[in-house]
Amino acid sequence: MSKSSSNAIEGFEPKIVAFLCNWCSYAAADSAGVARIPSPPNVLPVRVMCSARVSAELILKAFMSGADGVIVLGCHIGDCHYDSGNHRTVKRIPLLRNLLIYMGVEPDRLRLRWVSAAESPQFAQVTTEFVKDVRPLGPLSAPLRMEGGAP
Amino acid sequence: MVTLTIDGQEIQAEEGQTVLEVARQAGIKIPALCHHPLLEPFGACRLCVVEVIRRGRSRLETSCTHPAWDGLEIKTNSPPVREARKTILGLLLSRCPNVPVIQDLAREYGVMEPPFPTDKPDEKCILCGLCVRTCHELVKADVLNFSQAGVERRVGPPFLEKTRQCIGCGACTIVCPTGAIEIVLEKDAVYQEKPLGPTSAIWVPSLTAVPRVPVIDTDACIRFRQNDRTNGEIADACGVCEMVCEAGAINFEQQDEVLELDVGAIIVATGFEMWDPHQLSQYSYGKSPNIITGLEFERLSNAGGVTGGEILTADGRKPERVAIIHCVGSRDHNAHPYCSRICCMYSLKQAHLVRDKTGAEVYEFYMDMRAFGKAYEEFYERVQKEGVTFVRGRGAEVEVLEPQNGQKYGQLRVKGEDANLGRMVQADVDMVVLSTAIEAPHDASQVASLFGLSRSEDGFFAEAHPKMRPVETNTDGVFLAGTAQGPRDVPDTVAHAGAAASMALALLDKGEVTISPTVSYVLTRYCTGCGKCVVVCPYKAISLGEDGKASVNAALCKGCGSCAAACPSDAITPLHFTDDQLVGQIMGVFYEQIVV
Amino acid sequence: MIEELGTKVRELLESETVECVIGYEVGPTGRVRPAFIHEPDEVGRLVFNTRCDHNLVTYLNRRNKPRKKGEEVPTTGILVKPCDARSLQVLLNENQVQRDKVYIIGVACPGMQNADGTLEARCARCSQRVPLLYDALFGTPPEVSDIADTYTDVEDMEALPREDRLAYWLGELDRCIRCYACRQACPGCFCDVCESERDDSLWIGISDAIPEKAFFHITRAFHLAGRCGECNACEMVCPMGIPLSLLNRKIVKEIEQTMGGYHAGVSEEPTPLITKLTGEEAINEIH
Repeated sequence: MSKSSSNAIEGFEPKIVAFLCNWCSYAAADSAGVARIPSPPNVLPVRVMCSARVSAELILKAFMSGADGVIVLGCHIGDCHYDSGNHRTVKRIPLLRNLLIYMGVEPDRLRLRWVSAAESPQFAQVTTEFVKDVRPLGPLSAPLRMEGGAP
Repeated sequence: MVTLTIDGQEIQAEEGQTVLEVARQAGIKIPALCHHPLLEPFGACRLCVVEVIRRGRSRLETSCTHPAWDGLEIKTNSPPVREARKTILGLLLSRCPNVPVIQDLAREYGVMEPPFPTDKPDEKCILCGLCVRTCHELVKADVLNFSQAGVERRVGPPFLEKTRQCIGCGACTIVCPTGAIEIVLEKDAVYQEKPLGPTSAIWVPSLTAVPRVPVIDTDACIRFRQNDRTNGEIADACGVCEMVCEAGAINFEQQDEVLELDVGAIIVATGFEMWDPHQLSQYSYGKSPNIITGLEFERLSNAGGVTGGEILTADGRKPERVAIIHCVGSRDHNAHPYCSRICCMYSLKQAHLVRDKTGAEVYEFYMDMRAFGKAYEEFYERVQKEGVTFVRGRGAEVEVLEPQNGQKYGQLRVKGEDANLGRMVQADVDMVVLSTAIEAPHDASQVASLFGLSRSEDGFFAEAHPKMRPVETNTDGVFLAGTAQGPRDVPDTVAHAGAAASMALALLDKGEVTISPTVSYVLTRYCTGCGKCVVVCPYKAISLGEDGKASVNAALCKGCGSCAAACPSDAITPLHFTDDQLVGQIMGVFYEQIVV
Repeated sequence: MIEELGTKVRELLESETVECVIGYEVGPTGRVRPAFIHEPDEVGRLVFNTRCDHNLVTYLNRRNKPRKKGEEVPTTGILVKPCDARSLQVLLNENQVQRDKVYIIGVACPGMQNADGTLEARCARCSQRVPLLYDALFGTPPEVSDIADTYTDVEDMEALPREDRLAYWLGELDRCIRCYACRQACPGCFCDVCESERDDSLWIGISDAIPEKAFFHITRAFHLAGRCGECNACEMVCPMGIPLSLLNRKIVKEIEQTMGGYHAGVSEEPTPLITKLTGEEAINEIH
């Protein structure tokens, strides 16, 4: 059993899958682009209509497929375009994260934040910070991805 | 109907009226100080005495208490009457030598000097009892009454002590003919004399209101206040408005009606509120009644306002020097960072009005002049030519100086930077107008929750797209009009509201709605009928059918996908955001690394 | 107690109140196993002792839903311990069992024992000795007032350094052969098609690669969030001895501590994972 990688990999850039809700965080990401606020290129956005769409399965699949970090960005509580979708998100993601931590995954690999449509600088800041926190962890490995193709 | 003769004229009158009422209705002048048409007559001041001639005998009676009997002959201005009034006025003037209304009346009857000396020359109360009767009959608070007798007789609350029974309605100050009663606020007495004056509890809020009918402010109205205070025991205090309304249009029983309407479109036009300049103490708002906001200035200079449109300081003088400060609470990281858009132009207008109405010197402290509209820049140039002094720099501070030379209020020292000169400047003025920011109303977040609206960073409601969709919101069928969406002036509001109305009409006119195709559907093969999707759906769009399986009402479904994430069996998914598609995106991104 | 129980079961079968009663019997090798009693005369097969640790509720899944339109579902009698009754409540809440088609025979539970006679760990921390749901109740509840579940098993795992936790779970996942016994034994796993066994392998295939097994176990634990009655059937049936209760109870603890003290199977309230926030939760989403 290999231990997870140390942070000594030269030039490693983590791949981040960001689940963005259409009405808030995706709009913020869009505005950040329009306003030419720099955001890290590591972030690969997956648009969903509501953060409540993001199931545990999707997050695990993202990790298994190659994401070193997964960030879910939704609307602030009370501002969900679908009224209470983000209520489920706020219960689901921390629970999944705690379970993953329990099984030995680094805590910084999964994050949940609220970014509203008007908060484009925060989008850039949150994603930049996330990349910075994931980078020293190196590529994701056990148990959701194994090195060298080992089972 | 009765007939009486007054000063030789035959006059018809209603039964039950008093001689004073009949005479005044007929246009005959009779002086009276203790009379009020809505109070029981008291006969205290004696000024209304007239000659009542009956069966050849003449007597002097107070016309306010004497009933108008059929066949009476009255003389209101005969020598005995005049002599009596002269004597009465002499006595009144001796008691209150410095009350203008008594001085004027006395002069009319030839009494130039008080015939008797007094050791209380500042006395104003003539013991007319109007305040007592008002407090008893109308307000029903029974705070005031006469006490002591003879020369010690006085009016006041029991034992002349402050009493909680007084509701501070001010009715006594209004009926008092000599100004002997003043309202004093226990705290912050500076509000006594703002130049904007009090208004009655029933009032027309604005001369341009539609419909232009008065409203009763139930927080100020004596009837409502007494009713609430006494839990319904005193339910019929005052009611003067109802008594005098000839149309019988006053109805105290009106209740709020809750109307339920099924509508196809909603336009949110909930407007704005003014930012409160108390929040930045450097402007000293509240420390002098001569520091007013732009909106208060509008009221001041309005012909329907307290001063009849004259621009006066709090002590009733025309100001000689006025300062207008732009961007108070706007473009300010300690308040609102945004520009409130409307203030530059209305400040120019106000400067122009001050110059026009008072000829005062006007100093306008501005940062940038935002004259963006049709003929706006031309107006700015005109105002410059009218001699307004523009200081390019933020008005930083207003200091209230000590009153000098017998003034009631001190001057105001405005300090700021003149960026063009590169120097600090200051101006001592009589009046400061603060062009305060406009902001979203304090309950905007509740309104937003009600209609599913989001708010922009500035607190106003968020439009669907800042450039392309200014009147729509992210909720279909809900539109925004006017300043609810952000600061804008009248022409822009009209255009914006017109756009919202057109879009709403177009929506209704179509007769059908186009809904987004991202609705969820159920793969019944996989559905176990556990009902988690039913619980999770924010729109109650999913139900379990007779077969025990879930089914989606596509008209209610908004496509959020909450159901898909809640379903453990992959049995429900929103079109265009299916698990296949999302997994496809993820796998597509990592294509090169994935083996399987 | 077993006599009274037998009498009741006989009566239920003879009166045709139920078509079958699911209980426990001793098999030919001497081990306790589930029993399906259809005939009144077979009532003598029934036993109840400290080795009756199976959760029989899982058998209701296929019996209680019509397979054809208009089919009358038979009424089934079932023996439930308190933990089993919690799973049954979840099934009732989720429309998998019709209440009027199940006759619930509750038994007060003395606690189940391991083969060596020691009390099972889960029973040592259990204070609910009488089922919350039953049509008839048998047995005398033991005195167990001072027991409280302090989740020491979960906390001991949480206290380990990350590398040790990882090594532990990799060791456990290594042994998993994806036999799905845990899933089959669990009353809460009643999906007709399991996400881990899709024909199109949308999420995972069927290999024994650790990431795939990790996906299965994490997802299954997640699907049981707010629904697991802690009957421990999954851990008991695992042929490879994987301590699945350590996973499920981690989630039970999280939900109890952050979602208003919720426990599965004690009321008709659904799992808090699907309800709106009430304001009582202690969720900290910013970390």
